[in-house]
Amino acid sequence: MALAKVYDAATVFKHLNGIINVYKPAGMKLKHVRNAIIGNIAKGLNEMELREPRKLARDTPLLGTGTAADSVLHNIASNTDLSDHILAAGPRYMPRDVRCATVATLGDHTSGVLLFGINDGLKQSIHIQRNRPIRVYHVTARMGTATENHMPDSRVTVRANHRHVSADRISGLAASLQASHQRKMYEMCGVDLQTQAAYELACKGLIRPADNSQPVLYGIKLIHFERPNFTLELHAINESEQFIAALIHDMAIELRTVAHCSQLRCVRHAHFDVTDSLLRHGWHLPGIVKNLRRQREILEANPQLLEQERIELHAAS
Amino acid sequence: MLKSGKLWIPRLSRSFTAKSKRVVLGQDTTKIKHYEPKISATHENRVYVWGFQETGALGLQRNIKKAQERYTEMVHHPTRLQFSNNNDITDVTTGYGFTAYAVNRSDGETLFGSGLNTDCQLGLQPKPKSKEPANLDVIIYPTAIKLPREAGDTDEGMKVRSMSAGRAHLVVVTQNGAVFTLGNNSYGQCGRLIIEDECYTRSAVIHRIPQADICGEQDEIVSVECGQDHTMFLTKLGKVYTCGWGADGQTGQGNYYSAGVITLIAGDIEKERIVRIACASDCVLALNEHGDVFGWGNSEYGQLDDSPDAEMQINSPRALQLTKGIGKVKDVAAGGSFCMALNDQGLVYTWGYGILGFGPFVEQTSRPQHLLPPLFGRNDFSNATTVVSIGCGVFHMGAVNSDGDLFMWGKNRFGHLGLGHKKDQFFPFKTAINGKVTKVAYGVDHTIALCRPHI
Repeated sequence: MALAKVYDAATVFKHLNGIINVYKPAGMKLKHVRNAIIGNIAKGLNEMELREPRKLARDTPLLGTGTAADSVLHNIASNTDLSDHILAAGPRYMPRDVRCATVATLGDHTSGVLLFGINDGLKQSIHIQRNRPIRVYHVTARMGTATENHMPDSRVTVRANHRHVSADRISGLAASLQASHQRKMYEMCGVDLQTQAAYELACKGLIRPADNSQPVLYGIKLIHFERPNFTLELHAINESEQFIAALIHDMAIELRTVAHCSQLRCVRHAHFDVTDSLLRHGWHLPGIVKNLRRQREILEANPQLLEQERIELHAAS
Repeated sequence: MLKSGKLWIPRLSRSFTAKSKRVVLGQDTTKIKHYEPKISATHENRVYVWGFQETGALGLQRNIKKAQERYTEMVHHPTRLQFSNNNDITDVTTGYGFTAYAVNRSDGETLFGSGLNTDCQLGLQPKPKSKEPANLDVIIYPTAIKLPREAGDTDEGMKVRSMSAGRAHLVVVTQNGAVFTLGNNSYGQCGRLIIEDECYTRSAVIHRIPQADICGEQDEIVSVECGQDHTMFLTKLGKVYTCGWGADGQTGQGNYYSAGVITLIAGDIEKERIVRIACASDCVLALNEHGDVFGWGNSEYGQLDDSPDAEMQINSPRALQLTKGIGKVKDVAAGGSFCMALNDQGLVYTWGYGILGFGPFVEQTSRPQHLLPPLFGRNDFSNATTVVSIGCGVFHMGAVNSDGDLFMWGKNRFGHLGLGHKKDQFFPFKTAINGKVTKVAYGVDHTIALCRPHI
């Protein structure tokens, strides 16, 4: 079938189902991102070819007022239901007509990949969430000052030196933290360690947590070090912004200094990568539709995102 | 086009709300406290200890009264040894209920020990000043072991080159080539003639043997390894000399007698250059420079030979057929009823009888089988991790991977696996140690790990 350009808002709205991958800017609340997205969808739809006002069953000519405007009134088709006109009923598409929910939440300070389920895609978003896919973060920490909530926009509590911290020290600590978190993962998987089942699970390598009660870290790696900043790559499930910020704080204490989290970016959520993410200037209807199509391709290529049977976990998903 | 002359400057800092503006920007920055933690020097080794404490082998207690309190008999979690904070510990070895530390100190003491001292395996320790009779059979905190010095012995020369401990004896080789043996000699494990009815309690005997008397002038002793009641010396040229209890053939001298004379052993290793010996009780494994494994001693569980008509005891070194198929072996370890080998691909093989790491159902395998790498921390996030060293005590096994993590499994006697409980562990599990493990001493009921701190 040849591709045809669609001008009709109803057709677009009918096909506006699925997952979109939005790049959330830092410092913007999730609620505001969602409102912007659905607002832009509604605005975009309203700018397209819209449905004409309904026709009435029988002609009801408009009553004239006996003034000069009568000739204009007579020009209006007499079978048009004026109560259904845009000027009377308001815009055809309202933001609340678009159903939209996140797959997993991101904190206010975090930027990066944010997945939304749109309309019928809500079901998919619930399935993805239930499979507990891994999220990858790039977290930049700034050594030297600790703040009250471990984020840059709060009061400084302590200062410290960081001359003695070097890249290999941080990577060493990261490797050891990673091993300890992976050990915690076995304890959390809900299996008695003295059983054959535990042994078989352990042989599989990494496993997913049984519930979303506690954050689990799978990988911690130092990817950039430039005093006073260093950047870590984290692979985690069930994490929250506060958890990551507290982790940075604790790592800094272990490194005999203090630090706060200066940047938090989610670069991957399951197979949804930051390179496919919709930047803020692309949050309009054509961009969203294009993004929907791209995410649908990813979902088709990786059906396990929706139906996960394996308990073991691989870095790619 | 109107704004073309104007550069758009990206906002570097975040915008603040009115409240946080007041709180953050209005903060008096001169009053912020400065945090100055103590940073450990990089060369310092840290020591973590865990397991059975009542013998004093862990050296964590400082007060005899407190040591006798309830719930102090076991330490389930790896605990940092206070003694290692102010002493530079270079090596550690564990015997049956006691521990010896090699230390670098400015005052010239090189050897410290704590734990059971029933046979004076930690030397004759002086009575404390207090009037009450102290129990000298147990030393609860590391104490200096004064090795007898001859004229011309320097502090540098008295530093420990290698040491090992058995059931109730301790053998130390110092840098100047002297071998010191302490403790029980009822089977000749101290390398001197057996004296009938010798009393070892409160004995001050420390036997000193020049290495030239053992291996001649051309060679030198590089390491010593003690089994339960026997001692083996390994030289630079790859020769093995033994003495002590030989009832299971563990001295490898071709007989089952106990010998107080240190003898060069031959068998299949006569022309081989041995680089490593491993032994925890009475089964010995040796490794040559080409990665072939040799063994002698107790083979009750088919550790050394799995053929149906195999002997229970092998009294002279024999090249093992069991390990032929596993490639070049890098490291070996022999426990009470099982053996371990590490090949050049980083795979850990175990065989014998006991908890071998294959889950609760596998109690015995006669052929070496390898444990899967995910058990030692290999996964998608650390896909280059391999096991770099292995070791075992009489009842438990351990492996250290390239990230410096220690994995342990086996019988959990007195919590010596360091997992925080008393239950046996049927597959390798990481112990929680705050540091990179460099060396582990596996005792019979306690474990000591030498680590590098993270910073």
